[in-house]
Amino acid sequence: MTTQILAQTGRPAREEEEREPSRFLFSPWHLVLIPIAVVMLIPMAWMLVTSLETLNETRHFPPVLLPHTLAPGNYAAVLQQAPFARWFVNTMIVTVATVAGNLLFCSLAGYAFARIKFFGREVVFILLLATLMIPFQVVMIPTFIIVKDLGLINTLNALIVPNLANAFGVFLLRQFFRTLPVELEEAARIDGASRLSVLFKIVLPLSGPVLATLAVITFLWTWNDFLWPLITIYSPNNMTLQLGLTTFQGTHQTATNLLMAANVMSMLPVLLLFFLAQRWFIRGIATSGLKG
Amino acid sequence: MLRVRRILESDHVAGWAFAFPAVFLIFLFGLVPVAWSALLSFQQTNLISPPKWIGLANYRALAHDPLFAQSVEHSLVYTALFVPLSVVGGLLTAVALNRNIRGIRFYRLAVFVPVVLSTIATAIMFLWLLDPNFGLVNFLLSKVGLGPYGFFDSINGALYTIVGMTVWGWIGFDVIVYLAALQGIPRTLIEAAEIDGARSWSMFRNITVPLLGPATLFLVVWSSINALQLFDEVYFLTKGGPGTATYVVVYYLYSLAFSQGIAGYAAAIAYVLLVAILALTLIQLWIGRRLVYYAS
Amino acid sequence: MARVALRNVTKQFHGGTRALDDLSLEIPDGEFLILVGPSGCGKTTALRLVAGLEKATSGTITIGDTTVNGVSPRDRDIAMVFQNYALYPHMTVYRNLGFGLRERRTPKREVDRRVREISAILGLDDLLKRRPAQLSGGQRQRVAMGRALVREPKVFLLDEPLSNLDAKLRVQMRAELKRLHAKLGITTIYVTHDQIEAMTLADRIVVMSAGQALQIGTPQEVFSRPANLFVAGFIGSPAMNLLRGKAAARGAAGTEITAGELRFTRAGVPDGEIIVGVRPDSLAPVPADAAGPAPPAHPTLDLEVDLVEPLGEQALVHGTVAGTAARSGAEEERAILAEATSRAPVTAVFPAANLPGPGDRVRIRVPPDRIYLFSAATGEAIW
Repeated sequence: MTTQILAQTGRPAREEEEREPSRFLFSPWHLVLIPIAVVMLIPMAWMLVTSLETLNETRHFPPVLLPHTLAPGNYAAVLQQAPFARWFVNTMIVTVATVAGNLLFCSLAGYAFARIKFFGREVVFILLLATLMIPFQVVMIPTFIIVKDLGLINTLNALIVPNLANAFGVFLLRQFFRTLPVELEEAARIDGASRLSVLFKIVLPLSGPVLATLAVITFLWTWNDFLWPLITIYSPNNMTLQLGLTTFQGTHQTATNLLMAANVMSMLPVLLLFFLAQRWFIRGIATSGLKG
Repeated sequence: MLRVRRILESDHVAGWAFAFPAVFLIFLFGLVPVAWSALLSFQQTNLISPPKWIGLANYRALAHDPLFAQSVEHSLVYTALFVPLSVVGGLLTAVALNRNIRGIRFYRLAVFVPVVLSTIATAIMFLWLLDPNFGLVNFLLSKVGLGPYGFFDSINGALYTIVGMTVWGWIGFDVIVYLAALQGIPRTLIEAAEIDGARSWSMFRNITVPLLGPATLFLVVWSSINALQLFDEVYFLTKGGPGTATYVVVYYLYSLAFSQGIAGYAAAIAYVLLVAILALTLIQLWIGRRLVYYAS
Repeated sequence: MARVALRNVTKQFHGGTRALDDLSLEIPDGEFLILVGPSGCGKTTALRLVAGLEKATSGTITIGDTTVNGVSPRDRDIAMVFQNYALYPHMTVYRNLGFGLRERRTPKREVDRRVREISAILGLDDLLKRRPAQLSGGQRQRVAMGRALVREPKVFLLDEPLSNLDAKLRVQMRAELKRLHAKLGITTIYVTHDQIEAMTLADRIVVMSAGQALQIGTPQEVFSRPANLFVAGFIGSPAMNLLRGKAAARGAAGTEITAGELRFTRAGVPDGEIIVGVRPDSLAPVPADAAGPAPPAHPTLDLEVDLVEPLGEQALVHGTVAGTAARSGAEEERAILAEATSRAPVTAVFPAANLPGPGDRVRIRVPPDRIYLFSAATGEAIW
């Protein structure tokens, strides 16, 4: 999977493939890159090793780098000693629902802002963009009050409902839709398709990459969110993974091997998604940076 | 009748119908609360009993609150360290990664992965890594005769430890943005500069860095905004401590509103934070406009 | 100023494409040499090899008396104008022009003097404080040239510098380039796919195809004595007409050549399949009052007119003659109008008076000394 995101301008594609990867086994740059890679990977490697150790080995100083006995049972122990599976499911539900909601609502709105001239369109769009500038902490307390008044505190809905539509998503999709040739949609409308049909049958099928990017970014953000669940959820059974991890750490402070196992498990879905969908992650980050 | 029908089928109705769900949600949860927060900041409330109107009292109290002053100082110190380290570090790392040598994909992945990890997961990893008794880092330091260090327990060092940890976690973001920008520089420009006689350092300074201006500006603004909002790590690792050594603005805000039930005061802090972020962003953009060249 | 030489240069890219195949060129000091050919012929690659932007797979490249194979571009004392100009977008015109000099530690006063000198020559004085984004295409092109010339390089390289300009500007800049070269006399290597540019600007032309030089010579040589079929079909606009023919020896009288309706004799031509070529401007209509068959010294053809394109004082008359067409390999997707029939397409240049119309039959005269012969097997010219 390539991490070259943007094609270079000014040179034909033919020469891009033919630029030789260095034939040297060892370039001086490796001397720089290897330490960097080590620093980046050591914390995770150490976590992984610890997650497979027995408790005694974790308390060993100097630290044991290669455990004599592997204790994969740690993982099962985590599942038994805390509602870890519950947390996992909760997070999954919230994340999937949020991603789905965003894909739907942001597509609808993004399309409207891109293609439909309606009263107040420009003003409303600017206001939407303005919300992107506002730090979460400013809206946090009133949103909490709203959610409380709706009776959603301590339920998963508290996590889902406020995040079902994101101004960033609307912006992203609107920009993308504008780059599609409008003739396609006009032809479809002349053929008799309703606007809704045009959106779902013509525009969205052509929007794979941007939808994937939005989905992946929303997934990541929702899965990793901590502050909002912290405020709205208090029963252990309704917690998300991040929140659950903190309580787990509170009760298992000295059982670092279990804690590391729990941590590893909490990371797996995101890491898996990252490896499968690298391109979309990276593209999402890169484009937000370049338009910035 | 026809007129009603025409209005119903018109673009205005269609547009609003499409946009409504998202706009409603975003306004309700993103815009209304902004105004509401302003109101709250003029009140004394614990979110349960009816609020009491106290005008500007909260803001006046802020000006004399030593804990708030400390929080602001810590937030600023954190930001002043985090932003240059992650942006400059990101640039240098991106330059190192912008080549086609063997295994480059592996190195890039290694740098990107920490970005997708959650703040809590990262904090847990580092909590263990920097453990005073059994942590790997103290072990390595002991090999060169240093330490052991308390890291998160040290009054002087805790904030810097958090800086280091968050730079580790976020530098990949800067690298991704810079890599994309680097690869967007037309190759003919580099070739022209080569022919003109630019050597590596001069090329970097006169061609690469200026052309990366927009990316740098974006990253500085983005990192600053995020740095001022530091919370998760402080809550999880230090609870503002040891003592009040890592009290940052958002942590203070949280503890006021949700631990102590002093929501009006917290809302005032939130507003100060908002103004600070807006001001900082505007200043940075203004400076950016004068220094940054945008390729058409 | 220096001479440049490529000796047995081959360039094979990593993906397997052989862009240059054993190319050898000797360019004397001060010459304006143009590499011309269709896309993919290797001309840009050859230029980039001289610049040092690519490394030769084998062979040597020399500038002056030094072999520069391993030398980086900045140390070769060459300057280049890129097709898209590659101006530094964040620098003013002044700084763009002076960049190379500053990089070579030229004292500031000297930089200023030379920048202003070049700016005066190229008419950039009013633009010095502007940025490239604020310039028109023609202005950018001149800045790109200025940036190259201000360093007074040994060799001046240009990669299709006029192709991004509109037609009128292109003609203007061509004249400018010729004037500049006359004035400064720098050894110049210029790449283009436009053979008219090549013909008007060059001291010598190298016609390239598939990584090889098919002919090197002055514009006149390349035009009137093409070495092979490709060169004949590539140089000259409109392109040479080509017909398949046969050569049969007739003893002392020489060899008889037949191609469709055409019949004439020439000495020293080997028997066998042959390709006959005539340039459109060599064909003229037989005057209407000539009666009877023309003497064998001037063969004629019956042209069935398809299309007439007026060009002012002349016109292009497109039609077909009896016979089979031949291809030179230099065609640019020209639709063969008579594909469906058994006739060969022919274009002739007529004076604008008394033009025929579509469907007319005209007799055209073919002067035998203007007929080119090529081997059907190898494409080589037969003299």
